[in-house]
Amino acid sequence: MILSQVFEFALNQAVRLDEQQGQVFQPLNDKVIALQLNDLNTTLYILFTDYGISVQNTLQGEADAKIETTLTDLLAFAQTGLLKHATYQTDEALAETFVNALGSVEIDWEEHLSHYTGDLIAFKIGHAARSMMQSKTAVKQQIGDTLKEYLQFELNALPTHSQVQRFGKQVLQTQKDVEALENRIDALSQQLSQQPASPSK
Amino acid sequence: MSQHKKTIDFGFSEVPLEEKVKKVKGVFDSVADNYDVMNDVMSLGIHRLWKRHTIELSGIRPGNAVLDLAGGTGDLTKEFAKRVGKTGRVVLADINESMVRVGRDRLINQGIAGNVDYTITNAEALGFPDNTFDLATIAFGLRNVTNKDKALEELYRVLKPGGQLMVLEFSKVTQPLLAKAYDFYSFNILPKMGKLIADDEASYQYLAESIRMHPDQETLKQMMLDAGFDKADYLNMSEGIVALHRGWKY
Ligand SMILES: C[S@@+](CC[C@H](N)C(=O)[O-])C[C@H]1O[C@@H](n2cnc3c(N)ncnc32)[C@H](O)[C@@H]1O
Repeated sequence: MILSQVFEFALNQAVRLDEQQGQVFQPLNDKVIALQLNDLNTTLYILFTDYGISVQNTLQGEADAKIETTLTDLLAFAQTGLLKHATYQTDEALAETFVNALGSVEIDWEEHLSHYTGDLIAFKIGHAARSMMQSKTAVKQQIGDTLKEYLQFELNALPTHSQVQRFGKQVLQTQKDVEALENRIDALSQQLSQQPASPSK
Repeated sequence: MSQHKKTIDFGFSEVPLEEKVKKVKGVFDSVADNYDVMNDVMSLGIHRLWKRHTIELSGIRPGNAVLDLAGGTGDLTKEFAKRVGKTGRVVLADINESMVRVGRDRLINQGIAGNVDYTITNAEALGFPDNTFDLATIAFGLRNVTNKDKALEELYRVLKPGGQLMVLEFSKVTQPLLAKAYDFYSFNILPKMGKLIADDEASYQYLAESIRMHPDQETLKQMMLDAGFDKADYLNMSEGIVALHRGWKY
């Protein structure tokens, strides 16, 4: 999962498990909150609608309110209930409503973030990995082992020269595997055509 | 009209223009029920990532009006509907009634209702007024459209000034080795899987061929500019197996 998906899942699960079904988020309906995480060089846009909460990393136009903080502070906030370093912009009251609502539901960020695998396949991994790298030291010290682990995972995801060569070989191997698969499918089709035709279709 | 009928690629087999529309419809009629399963199998599930990335980059927000052209069974429509909320609107438009029916049933089952309209439309003649949508998408649909230039002009027309078009489509693989393997997969494996799963080899043969005939990244970008878009760019995903083209109307 990429970061926006992790947040989307975490927030919606918190709402589902909440005794009041996330009533606290009600005032945010049809609004967009920008959450700028300085240590990750990332802004997440959190959209509230009747269908629930969606999170994405791009937004046309301005968010209704913006919160500038760090992932580190956010994780600490979940444990202590105190959001230490944060600034509110645009509609400050709305930003505060969001932070208060977030503080009132239970979210196990460490658990959720353990599903964060980075932008591996279809996504451009370079940018995310680099911005993670810049903040590596700061993040490492402050957030527990979980974050360290997937940070390393993300760094490892950047291919080296020899990895690229290996990739080429693997592609060739894949082609061979695919040929084998083709033979297998041929065999299966033959078996199928020998059976009496099925009545469906 | 003279004896010489205008022909157009139907995959690799050249067919008269008017027949292409019929053929494309036939293809999707026969795959509608199995479409989602096949989609997962064929792209090994990666199409979900491509779509997610498209949604992220759309920058959509509550209240927006969105056109999901060639929307098929509604993967993108569903996500857009959640994001625009009840103050927004999503139109799923597709030429094929069975695809739209499967899509509508699926979305309603998942609780998506009230802000989605379903309509049977040909991409070449959209039944919407000028300047209607903040965002228009056509995902894995443009390669099936007979007159792509006309469709792009229509998409431009129905976008509001400031609006954005996103075209997600199979494209030209940039890594040469992967290109070879991918070709082999599309032409040898895909149609056979189609036969096995959907008992419909011809349709999947068509899909493979139409992917090959689709304009490459630079060509499509130029087509968008020619259709009137004020700015266009693209982004390769999975080494160019798929490209996301974006065009803006100012
Ligand atoms: C491969 S499906 C893609 C569906 C969906 N957008 C997705 O990504 O899952 C292609 C769709 O394009 C539709 N289509 C083909 N030609 C069309 C046209 N001229 N106008 C509108 N839709 C068309 C088909 O009916 C089919 O539902």
